This record gives sequence, C-alpha cells and structure tokens, in this order.
Amino acid sequence: MQVEKFYYDNKIVRNFAYATIIWGAVGMLIGVWVALLMVFPSWNISNISVGSESLGLSFGRLRPLHTNAVIFAFVGNGIFMGVYYSLQRLLKTRMASDLLSKIHFWGWQLIIVAAAVTLPLGLTTSKEYAELEWPIDLAITLIWVVFGWNMFWTILKRRERHLYVAIWFYIATFVTVAVLHIVNSLAIPVSAFKSYSIYAGVQDALVQWWYGHNAVAFFLTTPYLGLMYYFMPKAANRPVYSYRLSIIHFWSLIFLYIWAGPHHLLYTALPNWAQTLGIVFSFTLIFPSWGGMINGLLTLRGAWDKVREDVILKFMVVAVTAYGMSTFEGPMLSLKNVNAISHFTDWTIAHVHVGGLGWNGMLTFGILYWLIPRIFRTELYSKKLANIHFWIGTLGIIFYAVPMYWAGFKQSLMWKEFTEAGQLKYQFLETVTQLHPFFALRAFGGTLFFIGSLIMVYNLFATVKKGSLLADEAAEAPALEGTHHKHAGEHWHRPIERKPIPFLVVTLIVILIGGIVEMVPTFMIKSNIPTISSVKPYTPLELQGRDIYLREGCYTCHSQMIRPFRSETARYGEYSKAGEFVYDHPFQWGSKRSGPDLAREGTGNNKKSDSWHYNHFDDPQAISTGSIMPSYSFMLDRDLDTASTPGKIRAMQKLGVPYPEGFDLQANGDLDAQAKAIAANLKKDGIETAPHKEVIAVIAYMQRLGKDITQSQTAQK
Amino acid sequence: MLKFIRNHADKIEHINIFPLIGLVIFVVFFIVMLIYVKKMGRDELSELSHLPLDLQEPNQPMNL
Repeated sequence: MQVEKFYYDNKIVRNFAYATIIWGAVGMLIGVWVALLMVFPSWNISNISVGSESLGLSFGRLRPLHTNAVIFAFVGNGIFMGVYYSLQRLLKTRMASDLLSKIHFWGWQLIIVAAAVTLPLGLTTSKEYAELEWPIDLAITLIWVVFGWNMFWTILKRRERHLYVAIWFYIATFVTVAVLHIVNSLAIPVSAFKSYSIYAGVQDALVQWWYGHNAVAFFLTTPYLGLMYYFMPKAANRPVYSYRLSIIHFWSLIFLYIWAGPHHLLYTALPNWAQTLGIVFSFTLIFPSWGGMINGLLTLRGAWDKVREDVILKFMVVAVTAYGMSTFEGPMLSLKNVNAISHFTDWTIAHVHVGGLGWNGMLTFGILYWLIPRIFRTELYSKKLANIHFWIGTLGIIFYAVPMYWAGFKQSLMWKEFTEAGQLKYQFLETVTQLHPFFALRAFGGTLFFIGSLIMVYNLFATVKKGSLLADEAAEAPALEGTHHKHAGEHWHRPIERKPIPFLVVTLIVILIGGIVEMVPTFMIKSNIPTISSVKPYTPLELQGRDIYLREGCYTCHSQMIRPFRSETARYGEYSKAGEFVYDHPFQWGSKRSGPDLAREGTGNNKKSDSWHYNHFDDPQAISTGSIMPSYSFMLDRDLDTASTPGKIRAMQKLGVPYPEGFDLQANGDLDAQAKAIAANLKKDGIETAPHKEVIAVIAYMQRLGKDITQSQTAQK
Repeated sequence: MLKFIRNHADKIEHINIFPLIGLVIFVVFFIVMLIYVKKMGRDELSELSHLPLDLQEPNQPMNL
C-alpha cells in the first residue's frame, strides 16, 4: 500500500485560536460590565448620537452583545479551532481547501465585528441569541455553508475509512445549526437593518425557544462533546472509556435535544400538549447527557494521579463535571413544579453560567493550553500561571453561581409571598433592591473569571513568543482504497458511518422529527391559538413605540407573559392568553424579570398616567427609589422616525396583520393624531413636549399593553 | 405558499397523535441502536476508540 506524504494546516488552527482568545476576553469583559450595570445603574449610557443613529451602552443593548460575543465569538471560534485541528488528524488529510478555510475564518470575524457594531446601535431582532439583523443573518448562512462545504470535502478526500465519533458530533452540529438558524431567522425586511419575524406570538415563541434551546444544544454542547471525545483522550493519552457508550450518547442526544425547546415556555400561553412534550423529552435528556459525562470522566480511569499534576486535565475535569451539573439541573428545571419557581429569576442565569463558564470556558482553556504549545513546537511558558488560572477561574464560577442561585430563590419566594390578609407581601421593587448584594457578588465572580482569562492570554502570548509556528505539519498515511469490501460479521451500521453523506441525511432526519412534531400542529391547527375578537393590531404610533422597546432591549429585563399563578395574577392582572399575541411580530415574552412584567402595563392596577411614564423614562430612580433601570432621557428629545411608518405597515400587512388596504398612506396621519393627544395629556400635568418625540411613541405602546383583553372582558360583562 | 399549506393542514384530523408517533419512533430507534451497539465486536471498538491516539504522529513535546 502506497504511503502518501501530506501536511496539516496549523495556520488556520492558530488563527481560530487567536480569535478565541481575543473574543473570549472581549465577551467576558462585556459580561463583567453588564453585571456592574445592575449594581450601578447610573453607569448606563443610553445614548451617544452618531449622526442620525443612536449608539447605546445601556444594559438592554449590551447584554445581547455579551451573549452573542461569548456564544458565537468565543465558543464559535473555539469550535472551529478544535474542529480544524482534530478533523485533519482524524481523517489523516489536510483541510480540502485553504481558500475555504480562509473565507470561513475572515467571514466569521467580519460577522462578529458587524454584531459588535450593530447591537449597540440598537439594530436588533430582539430574539434572544438571534438578535442579529437580516443582512448579518444572510452572511452567517453563507459562511456556515463554507464551513460545511470545507468539512465535507475534507471528509470525502480522507485517508481514514472510519469517521471517529467526534466527527459525528461535528456533522450533527453543522446540519442542525443550519436548520435552526434558517428557520428562526425567517423575516420580512423593512429596511437595510430592520425586519419583522414572519412568525407571531405563540408561534414565534415556540420557534425562538426551539432555536434558543438547540443553540445551547448544537452550538454549545454537541461540538464541544466532539472536542471532548478528541482532546480528552489526547490529553490523558488513553482511549475514550467506552466507544459503545459514545454511540448511544450521540444518537440519543441529538434525537432528544431537539424536542426540549418548549420547557422554556412552561405555564405560558403555549398549548399544553407542546409543554408536556417539552418536559418529557427534557427529562429524558438526563440519560444521554450523563452517559456522555460518565464516558468523559471514566476516560481518566487509572489516570487520576495525572489529574493532580496536569493542569490541562484539571481544566477538562472541571469542564466535564460542570457539563454533568448543568445537564442534571436542566431536566430538573424543565419539571413544571421546579420551573414555577425558577422561571424568570436569576436561577436561570446561574444555570447557563455553570454551563457557559464551566463547560465551554474550562474546556476551551484546557484545549488552548494543550494545543498552542504543540503547534508552536515548544513548552507552555508557565505551568504555575496556568494553575493560578485554573484556581481563579474555578473560584470565579463559584462566586458567580452561588449568589445567583441564592438570588433566584429569594426573588421567586418574594414574588410569591402573601401576607396573612391575602395581600402580596412585597412590592416588585423590593425584590430588586434586596438583590443588590448578590448582583455585586456576581460581578466579583465574573471579574475573577475574567482575570483568569487575562492570565491565560499572557501565558499563551509568552508561549507563542518563545516558540515558532509549524504552519505545515508533515504527516504520512496510506491512501484510502477506492472500494471497501464488507468483512464478515460487520454490522449494517458500519457503511453508514463510513459514508458521510448518508450519515448527514440520517442526522438531518433525526433532528427534523422533533422539530416537525412540535411545530406543525401549532402552526397548522387554528384551535391551538384561539382568536380573541377584541385583540386588534397596534396603531402606527404604538408600532413605532414597540420598535423602540425592541431597539432598547427592554425584553432583557421585562417579561410580557403573566403565568396562571395567584401570585402573578394578583400582581399583574389576568393571565396571558395565546390569542393576545397574534399581531406580535416578534413576540416579547422575555426570559427574565429584573423589572416587572409589562403584559398589563396599560390596564387595571398597573396603569400609570402618561406623565408618570414620561418622568420615569427621564429618571427612573427619581420615581422609583432603588430602581436599577437605565435612564432613557434621550428619548424625550429624540425625534421619532415617522418616515419608516408606511414601510412598516406594508410589511405587517404582508405578514397577515389586518390593516385596511391603503392604510400605509394614512398611517402617519393616525400617528400624528394619537401623538398629539398624548402630548396634550402631558400638558395637563405640566409637561410641555412636541408630539413627535420617541418617548411619546413608547408611552403609547406602554398604555396599549393588556388593554385589548380587558376591553373584551368589559364587553362581556 | 404558506396559505396553501395552512389551508390544507387546517383539515388534518387527529394531528395531536404526532407526539405519540414521535415517541414511538424514538423508542424503536433507541432499541435498534442498543442492539447494534451490543453486537459490535471488541476489536472493532478498540480500533475505533484508538483513532485519536495515532501513534504515527511525529514526536510531540511533552506537555506539562
């Protein structure tokens, strides 16, 4: 058999490694900053005028920047670094095309830069972890295809017949992320950087959390499991504990994960059968997840003494343990009785950070410490510094998670506590002010983790400096025979594992089953979303106000979803119904309540005067002492962009919102009349303002919230 | 296009059986997979699990 000589491309691995290190530091720094904004709300900078645009460094705009940076920039580049390193070696070939590798690398970095520019400018879809607007979504699709193309081309020209289990995880990642991204990002563009989701209300929520949950599954988990299955055996220098278990782990994990999305929407207006489906599959997920964790940890069987000495293994052990903890907690959180306590609280924030900091963070650090010295042909600059990083990072996770768990419980218990007389014991604001010490501790934990990563940056920089990159690493392997003859006793599954395309198709079918079963009935059956005749489309002014609400990222702190609990209906009013959201493109249910729910803000006990809202936007702390809301005083002066109204109305009409024909042309007339009425109302309270200011539109939107359903009840009476 | 699908799908009866079908597919899939995994040979498994630990790689510096 002829042995062929070839070279591994280490340059692309280095580039992605650098990007991982740099964007990781940036993403964590923004994380620390947004954590501090919750302690010191006066540090929010809501507006810096850049020409006609408004650049904001407030919590609502920076929090999406933090989540996008750590998920897609830090972990994303970490995935590509690990994939480009391991794929070449597992397949015994260089990446198929250096050009595609380069396009992938630079394209991905440009997308990150575009996100870093557009999100602070308030250009957002407001769909969590999918906030980027449509032109960037298109770019992501294109670059993702380049990645997949390069990966499959490499697989096809490989010199190793079998595809190791890590590659299965990479293939599943590629296929599923493509499906998730495309389905969730479908939107109608209104302008260059503004679009409306084609889905509304309940359907939008279901698609978004099917995406959101599976972004966790197929961006933060499956590719990292692939990396675990490659790098952990490498670091420990022993094969994975059970290859059998890894096969079961793979197939059951990708099958089950895709069904679990609705557990983000328990007790909401989502149809009950969809919630139950989400719970059942989420709970079942614990088995494959723990199978994977056990497989990872048992890989170190007989080598635990090494863990004491080897800092890379320490990072990996903490990573896999954190994976185990968060995948135990996830199924528990999806149980209805636990979710009733945890949902909308900081418990969720603690949960995602055990996964994010522990699993993704620590595994990435472990891989970086293993990989950089190897491709630079040198030793790590300082083991001591790496050890300090390990301990400071681990402490950082504890200081982050414990206060947030505590805060979550406290918050939830306070929300739900009644006095003996049957009154709610705490005002919402008290549940925020009492959390201040926990927010401060969390910022401290985050800072520790960030400092740890800066130590790593220095350590790796020094390592790079003393070594030299082996850009093209020589390797040898025999060519793969053209045909493979099935040997006796071989199982039917083997050929599928050898052939990447059928493998891709099977993976696609497996992940599509869950998505289709979940979504088709919700989309197609009218009875799933009972219509409420009194629910009407937003007026043009309210629509503009809603878009400002989206732009400012209000959903990052305020929910619009009242669950059917006594504690919620007593505080906010009638619980939310599916039919209320049929014109909400996109939905605004939110996922966390650092501020109160706003679903009934314009009605009942929650209704405030126009002047209250005006003054509250101007200076929240002056109205509500101890509030952590940023000031939005710039909206008092900033002119409303009415030129966009007709286009927005037309887009809504295309989406099926029943505005009368030709309404786009009269919309600004209606807007004008409503704005003048609000301005006149404010004047009565001694506030002089021109009607076409942004704050007027947001007030109109606030006063609309919850009004339709109250009107229907009044009519019924 | 969307309207076409909606109008037709509105008429699908007993669509609530979808989740059950899904569950059945998973259980069948899982059992078949277990049988397959059980039948795999020891040598084959060993060969596969050693794929990352390619001994042909050039000598690498000892790390830590």
